Amino acid sequence: MDFSQFNSAEQAHISKVIEKKQMQDFMRMYSNLVDRCFNACCNDFTSKALGSKEEQCVLNCTDKFLKHSERVGARFAEQNADMMNAQGQ
Amino acid sequence: MSFLGRGGQSSSGVNPEKMEMAVEQLDMITDVFNRIVSSCHAKCISPRYAEGDLNKGESVCIDRCVAKFFEVNKKVGERLQSQGPGAAAGGIGGGSAFGSL
Repeated sequence: MDFSQFNSAEQAHISKVIEKKQMQDFMRMYSNLVDRCFNACCNDFTSKALGSKEEQCVLNCTDKFLKHSERVGARFAEQNADMMNAQGQ
Repeated sequence: MSFLGRGGQSSSGVNPEKMEMAVEQLDMITDVFNRIVSSCHAKCISPRYAEGDLNKGESVCIDRCVAKFFEVNKKVGERLQSQGPGAAAGGIGGGSAFGSL
């Protein structure tokens, strides 16, 4: 997003909107991640406590998703930049 | 008498149309990003979760997945454009829930 096209009032407004969206996005990601890791890791209901294997699985699941999301973000930014450059020419 | 706040004309006010367009663009980009994260996770990462780090195979898969997604995005866009606006409108009109209205 090119902020130079906005004046200072618009920039302030857009920053507030972005902040709110980031918060909503984080909450959405959190609940999706809980769903994903629960469905993948917790399949044994002989006990109501989380087993150590299940707990490790959930931790790995969370770590892996965050690293995945970070890597996708990096590649996405590169591709987006290439696309913008190609369009601008 | 002050005419600031009527929007659109002054250089220190907020142009609502410009804001709306910027927010829409932001929403679109966020949506594409979230879909890529979801698709590439399903395609590249096995649900066994043996460890918390990405291994080399998964990392390479993710890089290629993102690149392919953008290519597909571009190709679909080009194809829709080349089919002509009439065919595209016909597709949207007849091939969706709104076609029977």
